[in-house]
Amino acid sequence: MNEDTDSESSLLVVIFDTSLTQDVIINEEIKLSECLEIIITFVNSHLMLKSNNKIAMITCDSKNCQFIYPDSTNEPGQLRQTDGQYELFTHVEKTIRKNVQQFLVKTLEGEIGHHDSLFGAACSIALCYINRLENEKSLGDKMNSRILIITGCGNSGDQYIPCMNTFFTAQKQNVTIDVCSLQNEITLLQQACDITNGVFLKLPQLSSLLQYLLWVFLPDPTVRKKLVVPPPVSVDYRPFCFCHHELIDIGFVCSVCLAIYCKLSPICTTCEVVFKLKAPMKPIKVKKKKMIKS
Amino acid sequence: MASTGKSVKAPKSKTLRCRTLHEYLKSLSPSVLDRLYNHPSTCLAVYRELSEIAKHYVIRLLFVEQPVPQAVIASWLSKTHAKEHKEATDTLTELRVWNEASVPGGLSAWILNPIFKRNAKVALLGGGKPWSMSAKLEQDQKARDLDFLNQYALERWECILRFMVGSQQTEGISADAVRTLLYAELMKCNEGSESPVITKDGFQFLLLETPAQVWYFILKYLETVETKGLDLVECLTFLFQLKFSTLGTDYSTEGMSEKLQIFLQHLREFGLVYQRKRKAGRFYPTKLALNMATRGTLKQIREPGFLIVETNFRVYAYTDSNLKVALIGLFTELMYRFPNLTVGVLTRDSVRAALRSGITAAQIIGFLRLHALPTLATPLPPVVADQIQLWEGERERLTTTEGVLYSQFVSQADFEKLRDYAQDLGVLTWQNDKKRTVVVTKQGHSDIKKFWVHHQKGSQHS
Repeated sequence: MNEDTDSESSLLVVIFDTSLTQDVIINEEIKLSECLEIIITFVNSHLMLKSNNKIAMITCDSKNCQFIYPDSTNEPGQLRQTDGQYELFTHVEKTIRKNVQQFLVKTLEGEIGHHDSLFGAACSIALCYINRLENEKSLGDKMNSRILIITGCGNSGDQYIPCMNTFFTAQKQNVTIDVCSLQNEITLLQQACDITNGVFLKLPQLSSLLQYLLWVFLPDPTVRKKLVVPPPVSVDYRPFCFCHHELIDIGFVCSVCLAIYCKLSPICTTCEVVFKLKAPMKPIKVKKKKMIKS
Repeated sequence: MASTGKSVKAPKSKTLRCRTLHEYLKSLSPSVLDRLYNHPSTCLAVYRELSEIAKHYVIRLLFVEQPVPQAVIASWLSKTHAKEHKEATDTLTELRVWNEASVPGGLSAWILNPIFKRNAKVALLGGGKPWSMSAKLEQDQKARDLDFLNQYALERWECILRFMVGSQQTEGISADAVRTLLYAELMKCNEGSESPVITKDGFQFLLLETPAQVWYFILKYLETVETKGLDLVECLTFLFQLKFSTLGTDYSTEGMSEKLQIFLQHLREFGLVYQRKRKAGRFYPTKLALNMATRGTLKQIREPGFLIVETNFRVYAYTDSNLKVALIGLFTELMYRFPNLTVGVLTRDSVRAALRSGITAAQIIGFLRLHALPTLATPLPPVVADQIQLWEGERERLTTTEGVLYSQFVSQADFEKLRDYAQDLGVLTWQNDKKRTVVVTKQGHSDIKKFWVHHQKGSQHS
């Protein structure tokens, strides 16, 4: 009997991007419902691994984030089995379906924005939830928590600052962030994975989403060390400038708050400090984020 | 000269070992296993008990239709963990979760057992028939809450344990439970006395954790189940369904076969399920059923500890349960008894008495650790644990080996000749010059005898 592994549980928080402006959805390469189907199978596989494994799910788009599972209004045990599926899995499936549907209906009623999805906000919710469970767990129990972001969004920097803040919080809390990108190499999220020792994977093939999820993202970080996984991608550490949200190689850094700008301005728009400009300023090379990591 | 054969069998202290689910399943025949895998709940139960690596192997293969070459699977794990790979593959093969196959090109490959694969998929994704106990039910008018169920399960189980300890309260224990106890040799009927008494195994059984007790008991019960006319596969499947049911939910008995109904009644007697009336049409699984055959216990279901052991060997037990006091009385000398507190002291005599009755030191230490108050910094002072080990060690100063005694040699020369020969062969166990006695091992006896006969003849001729 192995006592060490019994008190260990693993919490997986899935953040699912349901924004309707993702290219994969617009081009109809994969349907949102198919995606959801696959994610449900994936989270149930995680629950199948161990009886004390836990999952949580959050959806986000460009305007809202919502907690999908667990749902306090819907406790397990109220549902009856309709087929051979394990009761708990049926419960998970039904709850997720119902709540995602509600979320989408709400989104469609409102205006559809063309901004980036709110990963920063969703990650904050996830981190709060993880923190709560950490506080609630009894002495001697060990919980490994990680976040998996599944998205098909593009590469832009609208959310650069809030995202980076949450990613560094995750690193401090020992939470791994994994990202499964359906289409693009998203530099922002690549950095998140690199900071927290997670895996970033751009799907080579959309049709085999489930297999990729099961192969790469199902094993815990502890198990991953034993398995042969794809080598880490080289991470693009260029930041987005604060003024136009564009990737820059060389820019200007505020000496007070370290905000980054692509063009010289006499007033920092972030901390509102006024620079005393005597000599013409030369562009300064931006410090790489790797310095912060160390 | 006379040789006397004396053989003493060493009474090796046998420890009671509880088989794990996998060990049990491996002992079943392949056809029974395949029939078991016909139900999703069994597949789930087997899957949960696999090693971490094996679980990932299975899930990776779950959606693959062709056989996968063994070399490919070996490449999934980095080379430094070859041992774990070997263990995982061996277990999966022995449990018939996957079978050997060959792929074009002559490579040996593995393919998941189709029955296992189909039913594991059903458990994960849905489809197929509902489990036999999940028929629609009206709301229970007298629904039972968790506290009640836990209390009930505990009472039923303690009833069996109390019976074993020989307390007076024997009512409430069923004939089937007694039969199982007798079959499992946890108790035996002495000639002359009517009521059964506890055996050495029984003492060890008492000190196990509750889930381990239940599993041991159920395994023994299952061995007898076929003699009662019940179907082993049907019963096992039902047990696994119970294991994956939700605590505090009622399940329907509708559509259960006659035999399964009998089995359910037995489980009810052991406290694994709760039923208000025999014909109630619904039942509630209890935590005993949910906890069965898992490695370790879920924290929230474990009973809180109640013991404090001090470095002066005193044991304070905060309990009012007669059973727990009786258990502690097995290896301590009880000093005081208060309504909610019993004080005992671990002495050499009391521990030796326990050791004599077949309990091992490890079991006593395990019991004290397991039931220690959770707030203690050290559940059991090391000095106490060490001393119990030492007391056990004291009893093992003598070891016995079988041997053959040669004595009453006529001359010192004869004695020396035989002794030296035995020494050369490496079969000499003991010798004494003055008494002219030699003891050789049993294996060496025939050689020495031949040598001696030969030697005698030689000396007569000269």
